[in-house]
Amino acid sequence: MTLSRRDFLKLGALVTASAALSSCASVYRRLAGDLPVTPWTALTASDFLALNRLTFGPRVDERARFTAIGLQAWVEEQLAFESINDFDAELPLAPFKTLNMAANELEGISNQLFDNYDRETVPNELRRATLIRQLYSKRQLVEVMVEFWSDHFNIFMEKGNCFYLKTVDDREVIRKHALGSFHDLLWASAHSPAMMTYLDNQANHKGAPNENYARELMELHTLSVNGGYTQKDVMELARCLTGWNVKEHFWLGDFVFKEDLHDTGTKNVLGMIIQNDGIKEAERVIEALAAHASTAHFISTKLARRFVADDPPKEIVDKAAQVFLETQGDIKAVLRVILLDGLSLARPKYKRPLNFTLSALRMLNVETDGAALHDYLLRMGQLHFNWPTPDGYPDRSESWQGNLMPRWQFAFELIRNEIPGTKHNLNELTDVSPSGSLQGDVDSLASLLLGAPLAGAARDELIDSVRSAGAADEETLQIIAAGLIASPAFQWR
Amino acid sequence: MAATFSQTLPSWMPRLAFASQHTAPRGDTLVVVFLRGAADVLNMVVPHGEEAYYRLRPSLGVPRPDDSSANKDERALDLDGFFGLHPMLQPLMQAWQSEQLAIIHACGAPDESRSHFKAMELMERGVDDERGPASGWIGRHLATLNTGNSSPLRAVGMGTRPQRSLSGSVPVSALRSITDFHLGGDARALQQMRLALNTVYAEDALGQDTLSIMDTLERLDPSTYVAARDAKYPDSEFGLALKQTAMLIKAEVGLEVSAIDVGGWDTHFAQGSVSGLMPNLMKDLAEGLAAFHADMFDHMHRLTTVSMSEFGRRASENGSLGTDHGHGSMMMVLGGNVRGGKVHGEWPGMQPGQLIGPGDLAVTTDYRDVLSEILVKRLNNPATDEIFPEYQAKIPNVIQ
Repeated sequence: MTLSRRDFLKLGALVTASAALSSCASVYRRLAGDLPVTPWTALTASDFLALNRLTFGPRVDERARFTAIGLQAWVEEQLAFESINDFDAELPLAPFKTLNMAANELEGISNQLFDNYDRETVPNELRRATLIRQLYSKRQLVEVMVEFWSDHFNIFMEKGNCFYLKTVDDREVIRKHALGSFHDLLWASAHSPAMMTYLDNQANHKGAPNENYARELMELHTLSVNGGYTQKDVMELARCLTGWNVKEHFWLGDFVFKEDLHDTGTKNVLGMIIQNDGIKEAERVIEALAAHASTAHFISTKLARRFVADDPPKEIVDKAAQVFLETQGDIKAVLRVILLDGLSLARPKYKRPLNFTLSALRMLNVETDGAALHDYLLRMGQLHFNWPTPDGYPDRSESWQGNLMPRWQFAFELIRNEIPGTKHNLNELTDVSPSGSLQGDVDSLASLLLGAPLAGAARDELIDSVRSAGAADEETLQIIAAGLIASPAFQWR
Repeated sequence: MAATFSQTLPSWMPRLAFASQHTAPRGDTLVVVFLRGAADVLNMVVPHGEEAYYRLRPSLGVPRPDDSSANKDERALDLDGFFGLHPMLQPLMQAWQSEQLAIIHACGAPDESRSHFKAMELMERGVDDERGPASGWIGRHLATLNTGNSSPLRAVGMGTRPQRSLSGSVPVSALRSITDFHLGGDARALQQMRLALNTVYAEDALGQDTLSIMDTLERLDPSTYVAARDAKYPDSEFGLALKQTAMLIKAEVGLEVSAIDVGGWDTHFAQGSVSGLMPNLMKDLAEGLAAFHADMFDHMHRLTTVSMSEFGRRASENGSLGTDHGHGSMMMVLGGNVRGGKVHGEWPGMQPGQLIGPGDLAVTTDYRDVLSEILVKRLNNPATDEIFPEYQAKIPNVIQ
């Protein structure tokens, strides 16, 4: 990435101020400059829905851009993410030193010798950094896909050494390949110490196989449960994977193939006879899994479920799977089908807690250092990297309909500016689109949050209900903003 | 009037996929108290009939009930001629005498790592080793039993985050204070928010249910709560957690499981025999449970409380008047349907040949046996093979 003159000046300011800044993310955030505020208008329902799938909730400048260039150009712009200058999103990450550390360094800073491990610092930094990227990155499609793959290759940070190994996995597996090739992504995940730890492959030894990773590799990462493998295939693949392990001493936390733990016998996986060939045995299977028609179909289905509908149209899935096979799993090519052909067929999806939170923050131009939001996400049920089972956070609407209370609290506490380190810019937003009346302001706010104004009668009813409790106009608008975020309509995207 | 709003929501918004209903929880409400840090159970339920106990604990041993050389209030309270409660656990005697408190001694997990972290993780996941599901045993209980209860408060972890045992596919709530569930703001602001929510959720069943739970919680405040039977909860985190559990049960908001942690039990140094560090923890524990028992006396027929700890401590005291990590622990079960007033489990003994490893109490009852019996008999969940995978539970007959 090249730095513009403006970025360069910011960097200069940062160096001058660095002694005083230490770990204060909000200062870095301020250096990144004010978020753009421009007037907005209502969007067509389909544009609003599309933007809600392509981003974590559209900002005003993203709405303007999308309206100007259209879906196809927007998607291409987002797919060519390297050419999007994202310095302003990266700047607030400067204090999070652990993001770029190797596994042994992460272990080193977590190991308090006589006082067990600090199991908080590394996960907290990764979680805050992830949230900040999701909020501020202009490469929204990358972040949406990082979230998708983080679910697909789920790792629970509470399990064993995953609390620090996930940071490496996030950087070297998920982010590195989020818009690359599925083959490379799967390959990297299979060689990821965090994945070996999470799915117990460390305990997979010759003579005492542990099937956990072998099973999930086929069931959840590639073929899917009905994708054409048997229990025998799981057991045989587990034998191929014996010895895939994590270093425990020098270069601790790195991947290692332990020859002495490897089962050297002949295996038969998915009809392939595999002779003794060390680490290459399982790698051969991984190659086959990455190129398998069941994998193409499964990944396409999950992508379509994420972007299009809980039960995605068959023709979109089939076409995406076809492209997956033709391109050897080129994620961008598959996404083009899902987005350009599929989004017009999209059905509403219930926002998962992270999407609910981020969309409110992004649409209202909220400034936050992210620290206090963990608590809300935890209570809503979707703290990053905190899903215990390997299937990842559920993606179907019904899994999330039921826990409204923390969402409502978030809405009202956000609007009252009661969340530490977090401040909304509602006034600034309404100032650029002055309507001259409370009705006009509420219409404008509904356009911002829900895509279009409420019908006149509903709007007036809402205003009347809040006013009946004796609220002044400015106060009424704030309560209504919170009410809209808390409303059923805002829970869907 | 309210119908206007919901009819004019954006047309693309689907109606709610399901309507929730609040039925009463089918089985008991389960309260799980976890003593974090490996409680020294040999000084809680004292084997005063065991000569070796006094030999191994010359300074820390709790005097026999008939030890005339000790002050009366410093002697163990006899339970059955062999075991006695630590004097600080005296508040539990009433539940014991009314046969609503059962004790299972030499209880625990097979894990012998003596590592707090590993032992707690395995116990909360309900598994034997790192393999096996990453979700928690309570989480799997919730996932395998459909009680028709969609309350956001079906399972609550007292504290800032839900306990590991609760993790799984069913959403659970963390609760520091019921007041956290209040919308906040002054009365006027609250009224405004309430009206706004009522307007936007006018025709939404789940929204209306949630509003009514919030209205219920809005009226609950632990600082002004009046317990039944003059029960006095200790002014501690544990006391508050139990008090709030009682409040939620009485408010009938759908609570099925409450998980509570009590920390501080890792007593390597100067733990105290009849007074001091650990006796103070016992005092808090006993006063809390006794207050809960009194307050909830009329609910005991549908309430089971179980206490557990990740492992026990060394049979012999160490050189710093404390105890080191051991093995066998103890569980208490409090409720209207337990076979109370009895110390259950086979006592493995404390003689040299009877202790295991570096000199620790053996485990004769797996903690999963006790939990399985509660799950099956009191919570109506037969799926113990999914809750405790690869474990075949032996029913210890702790429940009637």
